[in-house]
Amino acid sequence: MIFIYLLSGLFLGWSFGAKDTGNIFGAAVETKMITFKKAALIAAIFVTLGAVLDGSGPSQTLSKLGSVNALGGAFTVALAAAITITLMVRIGVPVATSQTLAGAIIGWNYFAGRLTDYSSLAAIAISWLLAPVLGAIFAALLFFIFRSYLGKVKVHMLEQDVWTRFWLVIIGAFGAYSLGANNIANIVGVFVPVNPFKDIAIPWIGTVSGITQLFLLGSVSIVVGIYTYSYKIMKTVGKELFNLSPITALIAVLAEAIVLFLFSSKGLHGLLVSLHIPPIPLVPVSASQIIVGSVLGIGLAKGGKNIRYNMLGKISLGWVAAPLMAFFFSFVALFIIQNVFEQQVNVDTRYVFDRQTITQIEKNGLDTKYLSTVNGRTFENELALYNELKKQSNFDREQLLEILFITEIHPMKVNTGILRENGLYKRFSRAQWEALKSLENRKYNHKWQLADTLAKHPSWQYRDLANSKPTENFNKNLSELLDILNRSFYSPENTK
Amino acid sequence: MPLILKTTRFIEAQLDTFLDIVSDSAMMFQLAMDDYLSGRLEQFEERLSQIRDNEHRADDLRVGIERFLYERTLIPENRGDVLAILENTDEVIDNMKDSLAQFSIEMPDIPSELDDLWMQTTRASVAAVEQLVYAVRSFFRDLSAVNNYIHKVYFFEREADQLGEKLRRQIFAMDIDLSRKSQLRFFAIHIEKISDYAQAVCDRLSIYTIKRQL
Repeated sequence: MIFIYLLSGLFLGWSFGAKDTGNIFGAAVETKMITFKKAALIAAIFVTLGAVLDGSGPSQTLSKLGSVNALGGAFTVALAAAITITLMVRIGVPVATSQTLAGAIIGWNYFAGRLTDYSSLAAIAISWLLAPVLGAIFAALLFFIFRSYLGKVKVHMLEQDVWTRFWLVIIGAFGAYSLGANNIANIVGVFVPVNPFKDIAIPWIGTVSGITQLFLLGSVSIVVGIYTYSYKIMKTVGKELFNLSPITALIAVLAEAIVLFLFSSKGLHGLLVSLHIPPIPLVPVSASQIIVGSVLGIGLAKGGKNIRYNMLGKISLGWVAAPLMAFFFSFVALFIIQNVFEQQVNVDTRYVFDRQTITQIEKNGLDTKYLSTVNGRTFENELALYNELKKQSNFDREQLLEILFITEIHPMKVNTGILRENGLYKRFSRAQWEALKSLENRKYNHKWQLADTLAKHPSWQYRDLANSKPTENFNKNLSELLDILNRSFYSPENTK
Repeated sequence: MPLILKTTRFIEAQLDTFLDIVSDSAMMFQLAMDDYLSGRLEQFEERLSQIRDNEHRADDLRVGIERFLYERTLIPENRGDVLAILENTDEVIDNMKDSLAQFSIEMPDIPSELDDLWMQTTRASVAAVEQLVYAVRSFFRDLSAVNNYIHKVYFFEREADQLGEKLRRQIFAMDIDLSRKSQLRFFAIHIEKISDYAQAVCDRLSIYTIKRQL
């Protein structure tokens, strides 16, 4: 059943493979610089490598937007996005998988009464605007560099052709890698919180995490999309979007690959942070829109003639229509899946203000005088509680989210056997594992209770060393481990 | 990569040889004309036979290059343009050969007072072809220089036209039979036409250059 649910993610992967690889190799294939077979093979290899090796960066940003907590919900959200993309591609609008998916996730948030993280949405939306603009800027700069360079070196037309082919392959591969890394989160990102795969230990290689397996499956669906439908898209893209020569196609693809890399490289992100430069958010951006931006940049650099300005209108339409359509489809589909097919699309979460939670709120330095109206009450809906608290108090958003975290009922029973069964125990250090074993069969009502109990052991304590990379990694890993515990030990029947 | 570049350099060499043949043929044409006007008919026939050989070699090279470009899908965007340039440039050699062959067949009797103007017209037409060869070479290696050579081709074509007209006026002002006037006019036009062919190639070349420019 779990794998049937994953099918919608694979449908999304298929549409993505067809659409976005078309954008990377469209011009090269259409100008006959690379054969389709070669383009498809390069794309398949490098999209998969990017997804598996470097694919977790942007997914974390997208999952902040809304964490779909039931497999049925993840299925419906991915399905709504995939249908929207297929429809938009049919009518020729360059639509972004990330934008569509964001719309579908917000649809789920509304349906499930969940809070939408508007700051994450704003970061994502700014990136959507920024990506094509950056594509245009890079393409224009590269255009001037190429023109000046080719004017100086006076290379023979035939040799130029050979080098253009060579670089189209290299940059196409680089673009495909970045695309895989940047967008795999779109394909199977919604399934991350409900990932059905267990960690597998492979001798001499190490542990292949469940997330990596999920990403691998996602990339297989992309590869199927590349081989079955991208040829058609490449042909369309090559004719309708571009009127490029092989050299300008190379410039456009190079600009696109650079922008995709900027938005997906964890390494670059880390470097900028360490240099105290504001980092570029790791957000899944649209390859279709970047390539249109790049072509536009080249057009402007050439003097602004022969630009198909109607493409700008189409992009804007994509920005607005795709997320709205996906939001609508998602909302309606969730309703149908839940009420007609009787599938669980959302795990209900309750929030309680009792002695324990109020004490914890106080301990965290928050003023509880505003909580008198909610004291002793239980809320069935995150959004309702958030709005109630917002009305009654002057807590800021961060404080409200902290209160939501403390009051959320998440019944758990420590059972290290589950971790062993799922192959997850290898992720813990010996000291962490021992600490966990000492809590065997204990029950907790809130996530923070388990975290606080574990924090009595040094191996489960967050470290406080500013700007130190190993410490940052340790803390990040600790958060991930706590997430695993919260998911694995969840047992609704054990509510205390 | 080195293997692909080796193939590419082989075709580059073929292209250069093709253009060398065009240039040689143009110079040969001028020398043949001089031989004819000076009455060195044996030497004239030798030159005609050399141009014939050149024409065959140029044809073979052109076909070989075409086959290479298509078989190896090289320069897919510009392949058609390059082939058109080669075919049209090849026609210039054909035209020079046809012209000399016509001289060899009809042996027109050119009055000596026309010699100077006849040679001037020939030199202008040949200069147009030589500048065309430079323009085509630049098209492959240095796009920025192409227009400069195209401009020179147009200049020599105009020059050949003006001199040709002057030549024809002089022919018809002479006191000779109308049939002879008519025959000489035919040959004068033949010589002018060589530069017209060069200009026609340049017309295409200037469009292809715009297409290739970044």
